[in-house]
Amino acid sequence: MPITVGIIAIAIQIVLIPLLSFQFVVPDLVLIVLVIYTLKKGQIFGTITGFILGFLFDIFSGGIIGAAMFSKTLAGFTAGYFYSENKTDTNLNTTIFVLIIFVCSAIDALFYQILISKTTDFTFITLFVKHSFLPAFYTALLSLIWLIFKPKTKSE
Amino acid sequence: MFNGLKKFFNNFKEYIVLIFLLLISLSLLPLNKSAELKKIRTLAFGNLAFLNSLVLDAQDMLRDRDEVVKLEKLNAELMLKVNQLREYGLENSELKRILFLKDTTEYPIKPVTIISKLIPSLPGYYLINAGLNDSLKNGMPIINDKGYVGLIVKTSDHFSLVRSLKSTQSHIAVMDQRSKVNGILDWDGKSFVIKNISTTNDVSIGDRIVTSTFSTIVPPSIPVGIVIRKSTSVAGLLTNIEVSPFVNFQSVKNVVVLKIISSKEVNNIELNLLKETKLK
Repeated sequence: MPITVGIIAIAIQIVLIPLLSFQFVVPDLVLIVLVIYTLKKGQIFGTITGFILGFLFDIFSGGIIGAAMFSKTLAGFTAGYFYSENKTDTNLNTTIFVLIIFVCSAIDALFYQILISKTTDFTFITLFVKHSFLPAFYTALLSLIWLIFKPKTKSE
Repeated sequence: MFNGLKKFFNNFKEYIVLIFLLLISLSLLPLNKSAELKKIRTLAFGNLAFLNSLVLDAQDMLRDRDEVVKLEKLNAELMLKVNQLREYGLENSELKRILFLKDTTEYPIKPVTIISKLIPSLPGYYLINAGLNDSLKNGMPIINDKGYVGLIVKTSDHFSLVRSLKSTQSHIAVMDQRSKVNGILDWDGKSFVIKNISTTNDVSIGDRIVTSTFSTIVPPSIPVGIVIRKSTSVAGLLTNIEVSPFVNFQSVKNVVVLKIISSKEVNNIELNLLKETKLK
């Protein structure tokens, strides 16, 4: 199930999400899907799912194979730290979710950028602000849609 | 032992899985150039590219395609017009400087335009749009507002051939404007050099180089360039001086011909002096 949803997310990410780009900064829908599943199923599940989705993303996007695998694995692992069986609803249904997305997206975007760059000529501002903070912020903004339109659970 | 390993795995399984997967990811990075991976990637990428084209087509349907084509055409035309106006602007300022030169110079001059710089088998030679009909003659120097450009070497009725300073066959007498040290300036194919100047002569980097009073071809004191480098040769006795010209030979277009032939003037003076001496 998460892989199927992930593949759909990858297709949307590659085909439609670029239309939302602002100054070459795009939100990461695949990461949002990954974090949602990780917060539901746990850290190891998130790490492995991140690895698989990253691999599929690398393949379908025509990018460097291994780059998104590495960054998404790390992002899934990071999201797993916020996993708690008792707090799944809190994590997924409150603004904490946006914060988790922000942290995971920043890590994902940072490592992805480092791995795909052919140059090491980075400044602090370009690396941490342009390639990490801004995409993370945009992804966190997009994740608000989840909070607004999320599927209702039985407890609700 | 086995229990110990099991306990270790249970305690650190998240980290072990993470490190294992990260190592796989990193090990794939150098394999990106392999033919198999390229094939897989091309296939998958092609499928999504098809989806991408569908989205683009959908986008185009929402737009007025004819209007877009019309605007793109207009854009291209405007770009060409802007470029043309920019060229006119540059040419205008160049012509203004030449008009100023015409007003201030004491020599009779003829403004001309370089119509070709690409004469086969004659690198460094230019073609100008004036000739015998404009009373131009061989040996007349060409200058612009920056300084010396070249010398007319051949004339026809309507055109003339100019040997520019940037020709390997051009050798002109020049001097250091400050110290009055004389030398011959050559273009060696890479740079402008005044060769074999004695090291005892006072030539410094930054000195202005002008045409020499010794020149029988070019009128004296026309700016030529500036000294940018000195290199000593022949056991430290002689110096080669590299000069950066004032004239940009790449962009020069509008120039003026000084309608004088120095050598003849010198000859005339010499003849007059001889006549005067004989009369006395």
